[in-house]
Amino acid sequence: MFEDRVRKMDSGVAPSEEVRPENLLWRRARSSFKGNRGAWIGAVLVGLVVFAAVFAPLLAPHDPYEQVLTRSLRPPAWDGGTTEHILGTDHLGRDVLSRVIYGSRISLGVGLGACLVAGTIGTILGLISGFFGGRVDDLVMRIADVQLAFPFILLATAVMFVLGSGLRNVVIVLGITGWVVYGRVVRGEVLAIREEDYVEASVAAGCTRARTITRHVFPNIASSVIVIATLEVARVIIAEASLTFLGLGVDPRIPTWGSMLADGRQYLAGHPWIATFPGLAIMLTVLGINLLGDWLRDTFDPRMMT
Amino acid sequence: MKRRSRTRGIRRIFSLMVVSTIIVIFVAGCGQPPTMSPSAPAEEGPEGEIIIAQGVDATTLDPNMHAETPTNNVNIQIYDSLLMRDSDGELFPGLAESYENLDDNTWEFKLREDVYFHNGEAFDAEAVKFTLDRILDPENSSPQYSHISAIDEVRVVDAHTVHIVTSKPFPTLPSQLVARQIVPPKYTSENGADHLASNPVGTGPYRFVEWVRDEKITLTANEDYWRGMPSIKDVVFRVVPETSTRMAELQTGAVDIIVNVPPHQAESLESSDATYVSRAPSSRVIFVGMVTTQPGPLEDVRVRQALNYGIDVDAIVDNVLMGNGIPLASQPVAEIHHGFDENLAPYPHDPERARELLEEAGYGDGLRLSMDSPSGRYLMDRETSQAVAGQLEAIGVDLDLNIQEWGVYVDKIMSRQLTDLFLLGWGNATFDADATLYPFFRSGQQFCYFESEEMDEKLDAVRETMDMDLRAERFNEIMGVLSEEAPWIFLHQQMDVYGVSDRVEWTARPDELIHAFDARIRADN
Amino acid sequence: MTGYLLRRALHAVLILIGVSLVTFMLMHLTGDPVTLFVPLDASPEDVAIMRTAMGFDRPLHTQYLDFLGGLVRGDFGDSLRHRQPALELVVERLPATLQLTFLALGFAVLAAIPLGVVAASKRGSGFSLLTYLMGLLGQSMPVFWLGLVLILFFSVNLRLLPASGRGSLAHLLMPALTIGTYSMAMLMRLMRATMMEILSQDFIRTARAKGLSERVVVFKHAMRNALIPVVTVMGLQLGTLLGGAVITETVFSWPGLGRLLIQGFNNRDMAVVQAAVFVMALMIVGANLITDLAYGVLDPRVRYG
Repeated sequence: MFEDRVRKMDSGVAPSEEVRPENLLWRRARSSFKGNRGAWIGAVLVGLVVFAAVFAPLLAPHDPYEQVLTRSLRPPAWDGGTTEHILGTDHLGRDVLSRVIYGSRISLGVGLGACLVAGTIGTILGLISGFFGGRVDDLVMRIADVQLAFPFILLATAVMFVLGSGLRNVVIVLGITGWVVYGRVVRGEVLAIREEDYVEASVAAGCTRARTITRHVFPNIASSVIVIATLEVARVIIAEASLTFLGLGVDPRIPTWGSMLADGRQYLAGHPWIATFPGLAIMLTVLGINLLGDWLRDTFDPRMMT
Repeated sequence: MKRRSRTRGIRRIFSLMVVSTIIVIFVAGCGQPPTMSPSAPAEEGPEGEIIIAQGVDATTLDPNMHAETPTNNVNIQIYDSLLMRDSDGELFPGLAESYENLDDNTWEFKLREDVYFHNGEAFDAEAVKFTLDRILDPENSSPQYSHISAIDEVRVVDAHTVHIVTSKPFPTLPSQLVARQIVPPKYTSENGADHLASNPVGTGPYRFVEWVRDEKITLTANEDYWRGMPSIKDVVFRVVPETSTRMAELQTGAVDIIVNVPPHQAESLESSDATYVSRAPSSRVIFVGMVTTQPGPLEDVRVRQALNYGIDVDAIVDNVLMGNGIPLASQPVAEIHHGFDENLAPYPHDPERARELLEEAGYGDGLRLSMDSPSGRYLMDRETSQAVAGQLEAIGVDLDLNIQEWGVYVDKIMSRQLTDLFLLGWGNATFDADATLYPFFRSGQQFCYFESEEMDEKLDAVRETMDMDLRAERFNEIMGVLSEEAPWIFLHQQMDVYGVSDRVEWTARPDELIHAFDARIRADN
Repeated sequence: MTGYLLRRALHAVLILIGVSLVTFMLMHLTGDPVTLFVPLDASPEDVAIMRTAMGFDRPLHTQYLDFLGGLVRGDFGDSLRHRQPALELVVERLPATLQLTFLALGFAVLAAIPLGVVAASKRGSGFSLLTYLMGLLGQSMPVFWLGLVLILFFSVNLRLLPASGRGSLAHLLMPALTIGTYSMAMLMRLMRATMMEILSQDFIRTARAKGLSERVVVFKHAMRNALIPVVTVMGLQLGTLLGGAVITETVFSWPGLGRLLIQGFNNRDMAVVQAAVFVMALMIVGANLITDLAYGVLDPRVRYG
């Protein structure tokens, strides 16, 4: 509902002006990135996280899964601990630094995975809904309304119950609960594009609907989907932590930042390092992604305001 | 022009927002005064106020229609039962002055005279019958039904004598009656059970004042209490679900007693001038159950013993629970339970022996099992399951750990979908081994994943043994078998850890209950 | 207009029925309410007796139709655990939920607008970058984390504010700040993006060309127009805040709707969950409708067809 309207606000810029959007956008992107300090900071932060994720086995001083109960709750090196465990150890004697480093893999994986799931479902439903309109559109949009009016946590628990716990299922849960944003934006875009000459021409020329959608409609909305996805990755990483807070989520031996933070919260008063470092990792990563996301949005699609 | 009208609209909406925000703030501000107000001036009789913080609110103040400890903690202040327990877990006469067995199936209770409910209604035999009957009527769907479904009939003999007739010998009836609090029959039938649930009237040391759901319950001293005047005037139960927040509330002096202190934070409460820690070995034991009734490695007693040898319970108690636990002596109950066998010792931590046994059983190359566990249900349950998994890995047993929400877990239990291992805590506040052994080791019971005809016979026999010494003897025999058969990985008896403000004198009990009647406010405060 | 309202009302009814049906199915999918109600050691026979007594042995569609029948009469049934009418339990929580929501939203809007304007208007300056980063941080941490840090700082260390509970205005500050921070960051980003776009539009260029001072241009012309989408999103946020405060309510022991819902769900207390979800959905649908209408008032170009 809302997205359509924000669009109407300044419908002066029609998507048809961008017949070959890629080239034009890239040029715009490059020039806007140069002078944008926010985007730079974002790129550096995200770069660091990706670096940590890729080279985790080389960077981590210890096995992130290894528990040594007799060395639990050691403080960080500068706070009375040893350089053996620079950021200290957690309540089960695991190395916090190694877990934070490995956590980047899991958190990015969950973030990207969930956005892939949500983006795919949302884009497909949005395309169908916007292109075919009528009853189909009504049905999809009512489903979206019901889901939006429905408490996230109830939905998440139920889906986790049906699928069982586990990392893969957390990705699916966050994916299923997140498709509506994509669906609505895509539908709105498609509604605008459907009336354009080149789409009508394609239909008139006897192209199948599927071909029209994949060849002519989808490329014009791809940039919006990418922008939403960027913003959503950040949301998903935080949502994973919330799931753990509520007692859902993954095997707590797996080093996700969310579960480290949620499990470490009861140690916050006496042994703050257990939760502080994963907390910082989430904060900086999400900040970085959001900075990049805002830049993408400003550049590619200033009209989109989800 | 359009633009201008738009801005005006915005301004209107904007100021409306600001105004409504301010109004809401003021409305909020005019609520109750802050809880940190000074206590009332001294006067004759009960004095002062204590605030007790639990993790969840009571669900109902109808004491016959729940089966939850936090709810019970509020109800025990308002209601009494026929028999009660002191802080060591010993039974003492409550509303019943005495009881005796007329025969194996008939119990006679002599009731205390001159006891009145808070509304003036007299307590008598009718009240006992009314209370037990409403639990026993399936139409009322009381969750306490299954605890006393062995009762056939409650007979009023005279105003202060009751006979309870059971369908079979029921030696744990006195224990069960501790948790059956007596409600006023006239008040309840006249106003309905719904009314009682939120306007409770009992015979207990505290009268109900107010209940703001999910926030607090306020009670005030019953000066005519039959056991004597309570020392503390006002008792407030607050609901503080988040552990860290509960700690903060105690540390800032906003509450006086908190439940479930995380073990590693106990030290900081002990070292503070304003707070101390009170601990009690709980009637709850923590263990990992094994499904031995399905084909697989756990059918083999050598594997089961290997798992017990593989776990270092001392290390878990010392480093995960910070000493707040007592290793189980290779039997499913603790010392405080009737039937505990003192001659048994815990399984030693012996990874060598564990590997040998696994090798003998044909699992020398390792083994993969699944383990279900709840999250946040018992003290450090998440951490304990991880530690168990970590230690079993060292003897070549890999675990797929399945940590889940409690409701989901219970459903799995009740529909018998557990597969290999499951971590569970079992609170047995009857202080008699039967309430642990029967559900877990008697074929056909919900939790029974270890079936043997020999065990069934033994359990059925002891269940109807009324002589306490003979009972203990029979229990000991069963413990010997269980220790050898190792149907559980025996972990530890939980230690309940409470944080208490220095201005209050109170000692933790093994049954997880907090009796405000037993607490005192220190004179120097 | 009347037609539009009728159609919206019809949609609302459809959504509410959909929500109640989904709730009903999910509750039955995620566990048996009877097994959670009886003690774990209840014998199978006793469980069966309870199931019949509570009516859970009837076919699912009968149970749902019964529920709908009650709904038409405004009766959600009694809570299994609380032994009270479920709707009463929900309505009791509304004042606490509304207080928290409105204060949080008030804070979010009042902070987001100036932050967004500054972040957009002085692009390139260190000050605007800093403002922008600060605002973004609000969306970069899990709510429970922020809440606990606030408690440690303001209650335990400084002893300035009560750690949790409800009562005075002081009790409201930290929870409102905690839950409002996320919305603040979101509105700030929206404000910034809209401002930047408007500042590059023709009428602003015209205004600048006329020699108006930058302050007048930014505050008089640009900001007022940028507020329109902010108001719209605020409406949507209102809905989210009303129902989505579970974690904040838990951390600060705030007796709101979210906690009631979660406890009801944990106990599989069908009537409570149905009533809570229904009321939340009603508020969200209502907030959306009001937002849409407000939008029409603000922007005359929008017509309701």
